[in-house]
Amino acid sequence: MLTAAIVVPLLGAVAMVATRRLDDRVARLVALAVSAVPLLLLAVAWFRFDRGSRALFQLTEEAPWIPTLGAGWRVGVDGISLAVASMSAVVFCAAVAYPVDTRGRGRQYYGWLLFLEAVSLGLFLTTDLLVFYVFFDLSLVGMYFLIARWGHGDARLSALKFFLYTLAGSLVMLLGILGLYLETDPLTFDMATIIQTQPLAGNGVRAGMVLLALVVGLAVKTPLVPVHTWLPPAHVDAPGPVSAVLAGVLLKMGTYGLVRIPLSMLAGTFARWAWLIAVVATVSVVYGALVGLGQTNLKARIAYTSINHMGYTVLGIAVAGAAAADHPDARSLALTGATVEMVAHGLITGALFLLAGSFWSRTEDYDLGHYGGLAGPARGLALTTTVAAFASLGLPGLAGFVAEVQIFIGAFAVYPVAAGIALLGLLVTAALFLQMLQRLFFGELPPERRSFPDLRVPELATVGALLTLVVVIGVYPRWLLDLVEVSSRLLTGGG
Amino acid sequence: MLWLLPVLPLALAPAIWRLGSRRSRSDLGRAAAVVLAGTAALAVWAAAARPSAGYRWGAGITLRLTVDGPAAVMAVLVATVGLVVVAYAAAHEAERALPRLVATLVAFVGAMELLVLAGDVLTLLIGWELVGGCSWALIAHEWRLAAKPAAAAHAFLVTRVGDLGLFAAVGAAFAATGSVAYGSLSALEGGWLHLFVAGVVLAAAAKSAQVPFSPWLFSAMEGPTSVSALLHAAAMVAAGAYALVRLHPVLDGVEWFGPVVIGIGLATAVAGGIVASVQSDAKKLLAASTSAQFGLMFLAVGAGYPAAALAHLTTHAAMKAGLFLAAGIAIEAVGGAQLGRMGLGRVLPSVASASAVVALALAAVPPLGAAWSKEQIAAAAGHRAPWLAVGVAVAGGLSAWYAARFQLLAFGPPRAAEPTVERRPQESWCLSPPSAVDRPAGGQLATPRRWSEAGRPPRRVAPKAEDTSLLRVERSAVALTALASLALGLLWWPGAEEVVVGIAGPLAPAGAWETALSLVLVAMAVGGALAAYRRGTLLGRSSARVADWFGIPAATRIAVADPAIALAAALARFDDAVLGAPARTAAGAGRRLSRRLAAGDDRIVDAGVRATARAGQRLARFGASVTERGFDGVVGGIAGVVSRAGRDSRRLHTGRAHQYYVVATAGALVLIALAVAGR
Repeated sequence: MLTAAIVVPLLGAVAMVATRRLDDRVARLVALAVSAVPLLLLAVAWFRFDRGSRALFQLTEEAPWIPTLGAGWRVGVDGISLAVASMSAVVFCAAVAYPVDTRGRGRQYYGWLLFLEAVSLGLFLTTDLLVFYVFFDLSLVGMYFLIARWGHGDARLSALKFFLYTLAGSLVMLLGILGLYLETDPLTFDMATIIQTQPLAGNGVRAGMVLLALVVGLAVKTPLVPVHTWLPPAHVDAPGPVSAVLAGVLLKMGTYGLVRIPLSMLAGTFARWAWLIAVVATVSVVYGALVGLGQTNLKARIAYTSINHMGYTVLGIAVAGAAAADHPDARSLALTGATVEMVAHGLITGALFLLAGSFWSRTEDYDLGHYGGLAGPARGLALTTTVAAFASLGLPGLAGFVAEVQIFIGAFAVYPVAAGIALLGLLVTAALFLQMLQRLFFGELPPERRSFPDLRVPELATVGALLTLVVVIGVYPRWLLDLVEVSSRLLTGGG
Repeated sequence: MLWLLPVLPLALAPAIWRLGSRRSRSDLGRAAAVVLAGTAALAVWAAAARPSAGYRWGAGITLRLTVDGPAAVMAVLVATVGLVVVAYAAAHEAERALPRLVATLVAFVGAMELLVLAGDVLTLLIGWELVGGCSWALIAHEWRLAAKPAAAAHAFLVTRVGDLGLFAAVGAAFAATGSVAYGSLSALEGGWLHLFVAGVVLAAAAKSAQVPFSPWLFSAMEGPTSVSALLHAAAMVAAGAYALVRLHPVLDGVEWFGPVVIGIGLATAVAGGIVASVQSDAKKLLAASTSAQFGLMFLAVGAGYPAAALAHLTTHAAMKAGLFLAAGIAIEAVGGAQLGRMGLGRVLPSVASASAVVALALAAVPPLGAAWSKEQIAAAAGHRAPWLAVGVAVAGGLSAWYAARFQLLAFGPPRAAEPTVERRPQESWCLSPPSAVDRPAGGQLATPRRWSEAGRPPRRVAPKAEDTSLLRVERSAVALTALASLALGLLWWPGAEEVVVGIAGPLAPAGAWETALSLVLVAMAVGGALAAYRRGTLLGRSSARVADWFGIPAATRIAVADPAIALAAALARFDDAVLGAPARTAAGAGRRLSRRLAAGDDRIVDAGVRATARAGQRLARFGASVTERGFDGVVGGIAGVVSRAGRDSRRLHTGRAHQYYVVATAGALVLIALAVAGR
């Protein structure tokens, strides 16, 4: 069933490319239908998931691929990957549904989006390290073409920068994966086996180098300061829905990878260096927020809040992996929080980038200084952006708070100083979002924006659906937390 | 069932907004009043039955609601003040976007109820942040004027500084006890206890507008008057003092708590009193007085008598709501908040007399209830140290002075020199022929509303009959607060003290000299104000700096806000120029290289093998990037280690290790093939 969630969008992508003529509107509807299939399949997986089980992965499927290497087609889910994969499926549906100017190449555009969906879900659902790596790299390809072909501004350069930077990161990660792989006996890429056997346990320097390679490689994708500079140009020049996917789904590959590989497979080594990861995460939180405040470009500002939020996530992961035996509850809470942050950030920032796309499609202008007073002519846009902004700055009742408060509660128990400094991020993001709302929607309406049209129905419906989920998680977090907690307790060694 | 109390207003607020946009002003008011009356009824039930409730949040955390003495008092207080203020708002405030205002006020009440009933620090934090979010929306209500959302952001950010303290407190509670429930806080000790107390005190001081956070309340004055009334009386600002009262047993566990809170409270009470005494803006005078009164409550908690603070919180709620509602009517009548332009005693006699009662309460003149609660605070202070009682008496004298000053200037009879009223208002000004400014686009008679700048005309033009009923609602709201202030005089009756003690804990024994001193100072202040008023010097010439919180706002702007913004801008430049440079160079080089390769590609290779060349081109780009960005050192190092690792391993000797290279390149090949196909 999980295999189908990967294969169906892939087949859809192939079909899109194979058909000769396909009207843009039809292409969009077909793509929407195809992208909804994995969402339904994952919803079924959600119901079939046994929360009482203590198995690492459930709903597993396996087929041999390269048996001599111990590589195979393995898929399965735990609470964390199911949550992140489901969020990804939602973001892809929204990205496909959001109207965008495909420049007469709708077939190709939706084909690439579906390809990217297959690859992303594959990455979150696989339990084979080699397959993980292959999907990790394939995701770059899909994103490269989406930005380069349908972006604006200097899209090709931005896309190239993104591609090279993250490919270099993935190469470093590959070295780490291979270093880990070579220690397994018998050789295997099977994640469950590696997690159970912890092949590098007690192997000082070598384990440290493998951890370094893995963390650096994943940090580029996350991204953490100082290897984040590919992110803002890629976001600014990408079309809105593609930005939503980039922020909502692709960044999660980095943080999800951190949970899946170093935290789970190198638990002992991770614990020794967790403090350093927490430091880098804290720097990302504060630095990302401050640089975001300094941006005058709407999309760059949102992009930097991603760095800030991914900082919270990594802080939660570092706390979860720390060697604090006396705080099992706090560490489990932090990991649950980090996972919920992945989900929340995907939905919230996905919505924000879609809305940024609406700005572009109306005015082709991201400069905050060129707006004002839009709450008059564009009430729907103002309301949805305000909700998304408050969700992002962590107002209770919305998903971001659920994530952040748990990360902070966990972090205070283990790294109180880092947590205290990271709290500043909450203040600065509040400042940057309130200032953004003020410049876009309040005050005087510039004369040239008099006829600024409000959100149309498809836009409102798509963003509304994402924000509805944000509210549901915010006021009724139990259904998500209970799922994630199963795995975070398992991974942090709690009961 | 207990959950209904906060959830009912929160959940129905959107419905009120929707309904209000289709129906008339009075329907809107009725709907909101019904919701809040329901809330008030629930609050009374909760106060009597003292139930508790839980809500499983997940991840091992349960949100709890519990009702103890202070919570019972506050729950009823918030709902009733909310009811009065919302009814007033629906009748009084500008037509435009009124449904949004009323709905947000209703939600505000719900958020505050959540904060009040919280039985654990996480629920407290949720309510705390929600109240802040609502206040932002309320202050920014008239968003077309750029200053208003800016002020809202200022208020939100200053209070959020405090919220961070509460975040830390929640973290400390969980780290030390593994739970967030109030019940387990007694297990806090050591560093965690210090962190917890520091966090709560920071949060409370910011929320209750204590020094140095006080100026945010001035920013909050940009909101409509009814917003100020609710904000100052029972919601938001009250949260800080309430949290100290509720958590007092835990907070008192560190020895520095008392001195610090007393210091904050006394400093704010005196400074706020001085600011209010020289302010010439009616709303800002009241705002500074709010800070000062909450300073007295802080002082009482610090002195170890939270019951006195709670009593004063209650009496203060009645009088501050009343004064703001009265001020709103006066401001509308003269079209501005300058006290020098008021003097409306003859034209608004009923409002003026209601306001007089409330102002006397603020001045702490017996037998009004506020006088009793202030005397309790003086007694508490005296119990701690005699000089502290003198401080309270001085602060009390200042309150008496500015209360009298407000009443005389706003609602005194017009002085010898006519007040500079633009338009002579009359008691029934709504029914008199409206001036041109007040005439809406339709030309038909409408309630003249303050917010009448350019834009859409009011959606609905009120008929005359409704105007009088709206006026009645407005005036009744003010009168009710005056009656409440009078009724609170019951606190002086013997037996009342026992009730207060039963609800909130012990009170300090009253000391004779403290009472005498503070009464003398009150009398002197009121007398002095009257005399100054006769001479026409009451308004005075105020120092702008003192009136604006001794320059604290300017100082924070220079010391905190401007540097933060400058730092952000500098970091943004740094990020772009320095950190972004390697990637930019690499991408540029990659592009140049690929162009060169592509040129050679076309010349040498024929179409059949172009795909292969493209693959090489991609690899070249990739190689260029690695070299350019200086990764080769790292990569080489790691590769060395890995290969050394391989050499050590048994498997290398079996000759199977080469296979992983196959795997690695297989992945890369798939990638390249796709890249080529996608072109």
